[in-house]
Amino acid sequence: MTTQVEQMIEYVAGMVRNPKLTIDETTPLVSSGLIDSMALAELLSKLEDVTGLRIPPGKVQPKDMNTVALMFATAQRVGRPRS
Amino acid sequence: MPHAILAAMIVAAPRTLTDALNSAPSARKFIISYGDGGECETVTFGEFRQRSRVQAALLSDRGITAGERVIIIMPQGIPAMTAFAGAMMLGAVPAFLAYPNFKVEPAKYRFGLQGVTTNLSARLVMIDEPFPGDMLEYIALNETSQVVRVGNSAGPSEVEFAEPGINPDSLAFLQHSAGTTGLQKGVALTHGAVLRQVQALAHALMIDGSSDRVYSWLPLYHDMGLIACFMLPLVCHMPVVMQSPLDWVMHPDTMLRAISEHRCTLSWLPNFAFQFVARRGSPEEWSQFDLSSMRAFINCSEPVRAASMDEFYDAFHSNGLSGEAMQSSYAMAENVFAVTQSGISGRTQPARVRASAKTFRAQHRVVPVNEEASDVMTFVSSGSLLPGYEVRIVSESGAELDPGYVGEILIKSDCLFDGYYNRPDLTQRVLVDGWYHSGDLGFFLEDELYVVGRKKDLLIVGGENIYPQDLEEIASAHPAIHDGRALAMGLYDPDLGTEAVLLVAEVERPELLENAGAIESEIRSQVVAATGVSIRKIFLKPPKWIVKSTAGKPARSTTQDKLLQEHPELQGERTGL
Repeated sequence: MTTQVEQMIEYVAGMVRNPKLTIDETTPLVSSGLIDSMALAELLSKLEDVTGLRIPPGKVQPKDMNTVALMFATAQRVGRPRS
Repeated sequence: MPHAILAAMIVAAPRTLTDALNSAPSARKFIISYGDGGECETVTFGEFRQRSRVQAALLSDRGITAGERVIIIMPQGIPAMTAFAGAMMLGAVPAFLAYPNFKVEPAKYRFGLQGVTTNLSARLVMIDEPFPGDMLEYIALNETSQVVRVGNSAGPSEVEFAEPGINPDSLAFLQHSAGTTGLQKGVALTHGAVLRQVQALAHALMIDGSSDRVYSWLPLYHDMGLIACFMLPLVCHMPVVMQSPLDWVMHPDTMLRAISEHRCTLSWLPNFAFQFVARRGSPEEWSQFDLSSMRAFINCSEPVRAASMDEFYDAFHSNGLSGEAMQSSYAMAENVFAVTQSGISGRTQPARVRASAKTFRAQHRVVPVNEEASDVMTFVSSGSLLPGYEVRIVSESGAELDPGYVGEILIKSDCLFDGYYNRPDLTQRVLVDGWYHSGDLGFFLEDELYVVGRKKDLLIVGGENIYPQDLEEIASAHPAIHDGRALAMGLYDPDLGTEAVLLVAEVERPELLENAGAIESEIRSQVVAATGVSIRKIFLKPPKWIVKSTAGKPARSTTQDKLLQEHPELQGERTGL
């Protein structure tokens, strides 16, 4: 696992605040109801920080953020270098 | 307001919104719009008028005539706004609907889209090029309606279309109240009603279009965005600096930057936004921003929370934010927008009252207490009534209540809506003998209105209305849950400035509780898939735990009390009574 992925997982775990749950790259977050829409915005902005990319929110759908793995795929697909 | 400005407003009083747009000074900036890459596009009133005329001509070419509904589903920005104004120029009746985005669950969006397009039976639905194709089938169409993808082409410079001869009583547009089932409530408003509201509000806020400037991230399909941040600037010939709600929610500091750079003076925000912005960043990061130009940040939520206002002020007073700029208003789509506005009656800030929590809960009455008292609730006023408006506070039986007593807020004004479009059934429930029954609970004290919660069981999460019945139905459908024995409730979370959703449900048999973890996560994902709501905590209880009313239905309020007693860790604040 890369450090970027680890950082993101740690951040998600902090949001979910459920010590009984183990979060990994493939844990469904949106479809499971673990995180809500306000949290999605926060996650997207964390993803920007971690990847150093600018991610236009208009190009992102909830399913694109369902797992940590998908988040990085989304960042690759729509992210742009920061100006 | 200086007499000269007031006189000019009266002399130039437009009869319709299109008149108001036509009389705007061509060279003055109207919309300064930030895209999601931070790029900025500006149009003057003259350019906006011209682009709207092009849209009107394009609509006219497609056979759109006066009175026909035009639905606009486009991202926040100038193209969506010129399409809206263009439709009004033709006398057609436009309605903005929310654009799909990462904050809205697709299932919930599709459901809303289908319901609202069916109800409006629009002749034309305008979408942009990137609108997702898999959503198209959920736009309800009839034989005569069409979907048009709007490109970026500027269109012809010379445009021709027949002037429709609209008058103040013509329908201007439809605005929708947010919420799951609420989506089908299109509030129908006439040109006259919108103008009367906007002029009353402009007077109360002493707006001068040549020096005032609005900042907004509010969605245009919502009354705060549509009226305060589009129609008010249009009629007052006042510039508005705007960005999309998504950009704001991801980068709340862009709001501070925009206000600072453009010297904005007025902004409307829901309650949660005050805490949200104050917590996303640090004084070091904000040091470059100057908020001293702001005349008013208007908290437009019900209720207005003292803690949220204070947190925002504390965070930004060193950026030049004046205490007098912290204001409030009580507004709703059914009255076009504002019913009250603070700061009108000579007070610099909305009044606050510290009252006994015990008397409030037990007697539904607000009794002010002194500094030393414990078990105190603080209420913030939403301001005084706009001139000529009337409010009555009534009990369950409809009797008018004295100041200090909490009851349902009934409203009468010269700009009340005519009804929900195509829904006489919903209209007659809330519009009775000229009074609008708001469903909100509040009280009057020293001529100021305080809103304390809602009569109808509505949860408000992050500014969005959620009907608990929608969540309860899904939970009840789970095989382990006793049918009809689920209650969803909102508990105000002072940390978030908004409500957290809790769900209590009875299992069919006590032994099912051993499986609680699995049942909880199944319910959680079913609820989110259908409604987009993430439940903070689910409480599974043995059979017969939920308190029933005499009619045999779950008693919401009593059950909530029982839950709070059994779980004292839920240190929240109840919003209803």
